[in-house]
Amino acid sequence: MSAVLSIRDLAVRFSTPDGVVPAVNEFSLELAPGECVGIVGESGAGKSQSFLAVMGLLAGNASVSGSARLGETELLGNDREALNAVRGSKLAMIFQDPMTSLTPHLRVVDQIGESLVRHRGLSKAQARQRALELLRLVQVTDAERRLDQYPHELSGGMRQRVMIAIALACDPTVLIADEPTTALDVTIQAQILALLAQLKRERGMSMVLVTHDLGVVAGIADRVVVMYGGRIVEHGAVKDILLAPQHPYTRALLASMPRIDEVGNAPLQAIGGQPPNPRRLPNGCAFHPRCALAADRCANERPALNVAAGRAVACHFPIRVDAHD
Amino acid sequence: MTEPLLRIRNLRVWFPVGTALFGKPAQLRAVDGVDFDLQAGEALGIVGESGCGKSTLARAILRLVPSTAGQIVWMGQSIEGWSNRQVRPLRRDLQIVFQDPLASLDPRMTVGEIVAEPLRVHAPKLSRAERRERVADILRRVGLSPDVINRYPHEFSGGQCQRIGIARAMVLRPKLLVCDEPVSALDVSIQAQIVNLLQDLKRDFGMSILFVSHNLAVVRKLCERVLVLYLGKPMELAPTEMLYSDPRHPYTRGLLAAVPIPDPAVQPLRLGTALGGELPSPLSPPSGCVFRTRCPMAEPQCAATAPTFDEVSKAHQVACWRWREK
Repeated sequence: MSAVLSIRDLAVRFSTPDGVVPAVNEFSLELAPGECVGIVGESGAGKSQSFLAVMGLLAGNASVSGSARLGETELLGNDREALNAVRGSKLAMIFQDPMTSLTPHLRVVDQIGESLVRHRGLSKAQARQRALELLRLVQVTDAERRLDQYPHELSGGMRQRVMIAIALACDPTVLIADEPTTALDVTIQAQILALLAQLKRERGMSMVLVTHDLGVVAGIADRVVVMYGGRIVEHGAVKDILLAPQHPYTRALLASMPRIDEVGNAPLQAIGGQPPNPRRLPNGCAFHPRCALAADRCANERPALNVAAGRAVACHFPIRVDAHD
Repeated sequence: MTEPLLRIRNLRVWFPVGTALFGKPAQLRAVDGVDFDLQAGEALGIVGESGCGKSTLARAILRLVPSTAGQIVWMGQSIEGWSNRQVRPLRRDLQIVFQDPLASLDPRMTVGEIVAEPLRVHAPKLSRAERRERVADILRRVGLSPDVINRYPHEFSGGQCQRIGIARAMVLRPKLLVCDEPVSALDVSIQAQIVNLLQDLKRDFGMSILFVSHNLAVVRKLCERVLVLYLGKPMELAPTEMLYSDPRHPYTRGLLAAVPIPDPAVQPLRLGTALGGELPSPLSPPSGCVFRTRCPMAEPQCAATAPTFDEVSKAHQVACWRWREK
């Protein structure tokens, strides 16, 4: 089946008083219908900037190159008019902080209804009816009453559900979720993830889930892209990447996470140093200063993203373990 | 048994809220009847959702917020009614590390001044050279080079700032270190560094730790015992391995089930077991057991009477009418 969203060679650069900062390089991704891809990385890895670029939401000092096609529509470099025709209808996004991404002085009903009136030409009364259905779909309790409330009257979890309702209003082909549960309690995070998983299953929606948490990815994603220093370092089926990582960074990231199902207090295998500043990326492989397996070659020559057997890894010395299930 | 370092008995912290024109303001019961003992050298985790009272409890113990009722016994002395002046000498033994590493460091002070400040206040007799030596020593201990003393906090990453905050707290060799979500604002790879550092410091200096966190996986690594709070009330208190392997309170089970595991073979199934609902308003907590509105096991008796804090075993206590059922 053809991809619903196809990103090719995306690059994002920011011009700053200190020079040009490369935030994203050579980012390519094909999103299949009904598929969820997790984008994982730490601060500055470029995971959010990649998809803000796709949405046309980058800061004014950014320049973008490459291509991102939603079906037949090219998103990059297109004018605002053309973008607005797809944003909020075929392509929707939810953000980390549901308080700052909702408009504080508009009632819930008007925020959900906005895109319905704009894109679908619904009347106010029809939009209200549809907004109520959407609130029920995202399992907002007491939905009727919530319609006329303002964002500050809702809890964090409720606000994120409202954000999801807004995103779903026009039945988008692709939903981009940028750290949708990071600001929430684990219990509420689990509820929101269960809701997203259900929406994906029942509506066949394609989803991009940007997160720093490999546990979140494990629960809902089909594939995972691991980013480091603005580039994809590993990419493949979630099972392959999480159970048999080939990139030393992916493996180190997994090993550094304390697991709730792990007995005992053996020290965690921390990764030394810190994620690189995109202004001062190391030469060669950006991970080499922190990599336990690094050799001279890694400091001089940047590894290409090699595709083999349905997965991709950018490393001169990938970890190969014969996988026996 | 030896006197515990810290003994908390029936501690309540209520905040008056709202401005009823006539009559009394409502009381927000942030902490409502907490008991525990903390032994020297022990790490106790305090966990629960936002609004469960875990940070308020920690701050009340440090006397950063006043307690409403109950006892805080520090090394045999009841300190809950003490004035700030009386408490001040105790502060050298009671130190805290905050969540936001950069915001908790004064941007106008150098790292050297920040780490030396507790010494200036609590050990004014130290000579300049001795103070410098103590600062250099603790900086090395937390994994920073002593060369950083002339630099400012904004020059450091989040993980390094947290190391500076830990150095400031540890420079006096406190008997109790309170950590309020110390790794929550950090990148995943940096969290592990800080958790390991706290583990090392605890082993080497033998201080007690009150570790306030919503991250149950980190708590499992670091703490010997765990206290689970909900709406200011204790739900379960148990040695760590007992709590994680045999949780008796439905809330504890819900919290544990909500933590994602990075294994695609098990995690999708866990999503279906999420605890429903949200924390009710602490201004009008449910009658009886405060957890009953979200509890999958609730029955009429739970609405009528609050459960007592029962002993499952000597070390394991739980506040649930149905803890005997699995």
